[in-house]
Amino acid sequence: MKHLEKLLAELAVQKLQNQTRRHFLMDCVSKVGVLAMAPLLFGCEPEHLIKKSTGLNLSERDLNPLAPLPPPFVGKAKSIIYLHMAGAPSQLELFDYKPELARYHDKDCPESLLEGRKFAFIRGVPKMLGPQAQFAQHGQSGAWVSDYLPHFAKVTDEVAFLKAVHTDQFNHGPAQLFMQTGSPRLGRPSLGSWVTYGLGTENQNLPGFVVLTSGGKTPDAGKSVWGSGFLPSVYQGVQCRSKGDPVLYLEDPTGMSRDLKKNVISAINQVNQEDFETFGDPEILARINQYEMAYRMQIEVPEVMNINDEPEHIHELYGTKPGEESFANNCLLARKLVEKGVRVVQLYDWGWDTHGTDHDGSIDKGLRNKCREIDRPMSALLLDLKQRGLLEETLVVWGGEFGRTPMQENREGKVQSFMGRDHHVDAFTMWMAGGGVKKGASYGITDDFGFSGVDERVSVHDLHATILQLMGFNHEKFTYDFQGRPFRLTDVHGELIHAVLA
Amino acid sequence: MNRNQLVLLLSLLVGISLIGFFLFGPEKEVDYSTQIKPILNKHCITCHGGVKKNGGFSILFEKEAFAINESGLPAIVPGSPNSSELIKRLTHSDPELRMPYQKAALSDEEIDLLKTWIRQGAKWGKHWAYKPVKKPEIPTQTQIAGMGSGDSEVKLSPIDYFIREKLEEKGLKPSAQEQPLRLLRRVALDLTGLPPSETLVSDFSSGKITYEQAVDQLLKAETYGEKWATWWLDLARYADTKGYERDVSRTMWPYRDWVILAFNADKPFDEFTIEQLAGDLLPNPTQDQLTATAFHRNTMNNDEGGTEDEEFRVAAILDRVNTTYEVWQSTTMACVQCHSHTYDPIRHEEFYQSAAFFNNTRDEDTHDEEPRLRFYEEEQLGQVKNVITWTKEYEGEKAAKARADFLKFYEPKYAAHLATDFNRSELIDTKWLGLWSGGSAVYKNIDTQGSDQLLLDYWTGLDGTQMTIRKDGPEGEVLASFVINKTQGETVKQIPFKPISGKINLYIEAKNPSAGPQQNTSTIVWFAFLPSLKGKDKPGFKEAESDWEELLKFRGTRLPILIENPTYMARKTHVFERGNWMVLGQEVNPKTPAEFGGWREEWPKNRLGFAYWLTSAENPLTARTLVNRIWDQLFGRGIVRTLEDMGSQSDPPSHPELLDYLAWKTMNDYAWSIKALIREIVTTATYKQSSILSPEVFEKDPENQWYSRGPRFRLSAEQVRDQALAVSGLLSEKMYGPSVKPHQPEGIWQTVYNGESWTESEGEDKYRRGIYTFLKRTSPYPSFITFDAASREVCLSKRLVTNTPLQALVTLNDPVYLEAAKNLGKNAWAKGAGNPEKAISSTYQQVIFSPISEGKKKTLMDLFASAKVEFTTNPAALADFFPGAKPEEAAMAVVANAMMNFDEFLTKP
Repeated sequence: MKHLEKLLAELAVQKLQNQTRRHFLMDCVSKVGVLAMAPLLFGCEPEHLIKKSTGLNLSERDLNPLAPLPPPFVGKAKSIIYLHMAGAPSQLELFDYKPELARYHDKDCPESLLEGRKFAFIRGVPKMLGPQAQFAQHGQSGAWVSDYLPHFAKVTDEVAFLKAVHTDQFNHGPAQLFMQTGSPRLGRPSLGSWVTYGLGTENQNLPGFVVLTSGGKTPDAGKSVWGSGFLPSVYQGVQCRSKGDPVLYLEDPTGMSRDLKKNVISAINQVNQEDFETFGDPEILARINQYEMAYRMQIEVPEVMNINDEPEHIHELYGTKPGEESFANNCLLARKLVEKGVRVVQLYDWGWDTHGTDHDGSIDKGLRNKCREIDRPMSALLLDLKQRGLLEETLVVWGGEFGRTPMQENREGKVQSFMGRDHHVDAFTMWMAGGGVKKGASYGITDDFGFSGVDERVSVHDLHATILQLMGFNHEKFTYDFQGRPFRLTDVHGELIHAVLA
Repeated sequence: MNRNQLVLLLSLLVGISLIGFFLFGPEKEVDYSTQIKPILNKHCITCHGGVKKNGGFSILFEKEAFAINESGLPAIVPGSPNSSELIKRLTHSDPELRMPYQKAALSDEEIDLLKTWIRQGAKWGKHWAYKPVKKPEIPTQTQIAGMGSGDSEVKLSPIDYFIREKLEEKGLKPSAQEQPLRLLRRVALDLTGLPPSETLVSDFSSGKITYEQAVDQLLKAETYGEKWATWWLDLARYADTKGYERDVSRTMWPYRDWVILAFNADKPFDEFTIEQLAGDLLPNPTQDQLTATAFHRNTMNNDEGGTEDEEFRVAAILDRVNTTYEVWQSTTMACVQCHSHTYDPIRHEEFYQSAAFFNNTRDEDTHDEEPRLRFYEEEQLGQVKNVITWTKEYEGEKAAKARADFLKFYEPKYAAHLATDFNRSELIDTKWLGLWSGGSAVYKNIDTQGSDQLLLDYWTGLDGTQMTIRKDGPEGEVLASFVINKTQGETVKQIPFKPISGKINLYIEAKNPSAGPQQNTSTIVWFAFLPSLKGKDKPGFKEAESDWEELLKFRGTRLPILIENPTYMARKTHVFERGNWMVLGQEVNPKTPAEFGGWREEWPKNRLGFAYWLTSAENPLTARTLVNRIWDQLFGRGIVRTLEDMGSQSDPPSHPELLDYLAWKTMNDYAWSIKALIREIVTTATYKQSSILSPEVFEKDPENQWYSRGPRFRLSAEQVRDQALAVSGLLSEKMYGPSVKPHQPEGIWQTVYNGESWTESEGEDKYRRGIYTFLKRTSPYPSFITFDAASREVCLSKRLVTNTPLQALVTLNDPVYLEAAKNLGKNAWAKGAGNPEKAISSTYQQVIFSPISEGKKKTLMDLFASAKVEFTTNPAALADFFPGAKPEEAAMAVVANAMMNFDEFLTKP
């Protein structure tokens, strides 16, 4: 019996990987068409019910595209929390300690670093800019972390650093798209969508892929960074807000009770079911699912998005203040969401674009303030997950879309009023922690200026391959057919970073 | 060998070849573009073409493909596959030499195809989309007419013949015709974006008018323009804000209104094109033709402090090139910005030759977005006329034209940001010139056109600033000397100026002892040279002068438009190396890509000539693109599915002859009439088919690409909202004017350095059609975005239709939809006159255009009953939900809320 279920589950994975959405839904037509949908609404054991009413062995996925599925092999992590610092933080002030750069401070940048290169804003020959932070080694692993991140310095033994990550996009929008979808152009599914598509989600009453933003703005690349591209849109990220309705229009109209709302949705879906039987358009089935999900979200989203009832010591740990839209609140929410079975939680924090054009965008002042906003909560997140036994099955990833130059930015060739660094694609630092990640590891070596990776370089595709591996996928085999060819998150690239796998 | 043996041998040979002939048929000529090019694109071109030319070999352009490579040999020797390096390397036994390098080898079929192609002479070919549009033969009518689905009454049109020919080929049958009223709803939604009006429904169902007549009425309705303008505005990237970081508001709505009017007037698509791309270059352009040019002022404008205007001017120009090619040529030019196209035969420099057409307009990413077209009130138009007549009388035609142009769009003028050599002065927020007391700046290469007067636009809070303008430098000849005083906001001052000819440098200085240190004496926006009004001693001068002065104070509606540089301000265009605007390559002149052809020497080498080229009969892509997108609007997919691209990486057309038939007909028979094209499509049997889908048909044609059933897909964002307002009787019929702000939740607008807020519109403006909703690029109207509307930062050819629970939340809970449901419910209850069953049946019929089934009726009656019980037993809930309503009305509102969430309501039938 167990064996049969496993077989069915595997079949479902196979089907999902090989079939387009249309085909997937077509299966629903032939299989679901004979079912009465009404009893399934809000049912908690559909498989049991389906079997009973039809005698057919159907996986839950056949009815619900977000039903959980086992990965092709056992992954170390069950869910991901991805902390994206939109705007790209400076690796040179946080993790990549370069004493040699300090000695070159205010000297002309060597020609060799400029030849044949294009920077977003640097023109002509800029000056080098020494690190503006104090560095020390921390923990058993002796990881270098600056005084910008005092709390994080205490948890580095949980973390694996990637210090020579590189990208090929030096503008925010395309670079964010590349980091999140594996392509700088619009139209590809995001990492979160791939994972949600492959694994479904554990909790059907919440979106499988939640997006939380802070810093007052959404990322430069807009909502495409959590879009589902050519994957069915049910796998796209759902933005949840910490102010107002957690999800737009989530709240019922005043005066409409839950029971009445349930009757409304029930009526809608009964009518839709009748129309499906008449018109045979599988899109109607998708609509039915859409309304069921909406109803369930209305109940559970407000519960999980409420942090008022968290104990005081938790608020202290994270530095959270209920009612704010902040990175701290989002970190706490991320923990709550994965605890509730959400597959992917994607945080975007805006405000890391430290060009030195103003106070907030300066390396020495603005960046320090931004670090204060994230230092305590992101460290708390690791500690909190750990104390709940969740860190082992949750993969936490941190990084920006690129790094910053070791040169002082000289926008349009002019001296700037604040210290700032331009966009830099050759080398920057990211870190990973939790499920399946080697604790205290450090991978990647950059040159004396932190300009280029000299060894153990990691591309964006390598990072994606590794993340998928930790979730239980071989990135080369995890494909989706579109426009007549199989697509992968990693396209035709990507090497596993074995050094950070536990 | 004796004679007999020879005969035997010969006959054997003939026999063998005959057998061969019968077995394999005559060897068919291999077609380059459909058979060879796809192989090359798939396996070769990433390393041998466009960006990379490994081994010196490129297969992108014909000339390159046959050239001698680094090895000293050509890769392809026509006629001789065995001596062609290309074939050798594809089949080489050494993995280091076998191509594609370190990738899977080509299949035997592919290699055989390449061999045959080379043996046949390696004939290069044009990609199908670049070939001229020819009128295709309509498939034999008798053959196909027989295969109907029992609907022998159905009259078939040429489109149907093309469709049915393919259906037969695919073993599919057409569906029966749709029920009349559902069909009417379908065509009304397609043509006007709204359900049909009551009158139309009753005229049509009573048989008073035919389907064709109904179509004609819909095409005549003004709502037609609103629907189709919505489509065009996605392509035009129309929005009400400038975009980028600050994303503040701009006035673009007169352009939106122009588009609506153009669709309603069925302006032929060639005129529609020419006016938008080059209306300003037409002889004596009208206000409308100038308005049309705002098409390319929909590019984003960056107000962010510290950004260089030139960088974003360039970005706007490049966007105009890319958008023009996507909108009219289904060609992705963006790649060519940095290197020759990887897949299509367009060279790197050709992008910049195209850019040269667009790189000569006056706009410079300035904060005020000049040049802007002035929309004068009636009374002011009288003043304009007076000033122009006066100028004509005393200065002649030419001067009158110059003054008329200046009053229309304030050009030519010099923007403050051109200043250099700052001394005790600055470019305030990188936008305006600020001179401190004793400060100066220089404007280089200024042509005053010998004017005796300078116009200066500025504002200041200080009195008594002495300003001096000299030639060249601090010691130069004084050209103007004047005092400026405190202003009420921005103002234009006329200043006597010493006439001087040729290009000069202007040194401008300011002195004001009362100014604090580093305080700007004024904020200078622009200056221009326009002669003073002549005829001072003539009667009527005073009036003309005061009219002129008053007109210079105009602060009414001003729309960003395109205006060409005068010769003395003309720009040069260079290739940007690797797409970097800072690294200039060779200078280029306006020229269209060689592969596309079709340029006529008599055309001017400017935007107007470019627009002529796009709309000429020799340009095959414009008409193909247009008909493909109109088809997509009606059927939910293009004949070429990749709407944005018809290049060699695009999907091949599902019905190539149909595509050409429609393109040919549009250009010739219809003289570019879009209404005629739409009419032809929606009156076909193909369009009128039922959308009912059987599992067998679904198996064969899941995406309906062969059109064996009617189009059925979810309505667009605007349609979903418009329809809800329409059926509930809330929709305002008001057209045109500034965009409106209906209800949206708090806290949606989150843009830094931007003091604007969403102030909800009042009265009927809350219920206008979606096309009038204010569109802020970084934060569009939330329910529209949820339903896949565009944020309009760049041109969008196709909106993807997605399906998420968030959409359900919008139509269930968004106050806009709730209000509609309440209105509909209340009306329903009134209509039912105390009979809920009647109320439900008639409302369902009114909304869905079908009689309600027993099952649905029961479902809705149950819902009504449960809601009624709730509202009767709980008056507080009633008061909260629908203040002042009877329990039955509220219960009916709940039913209406459900109805407006039915799949059939949200879907085109």
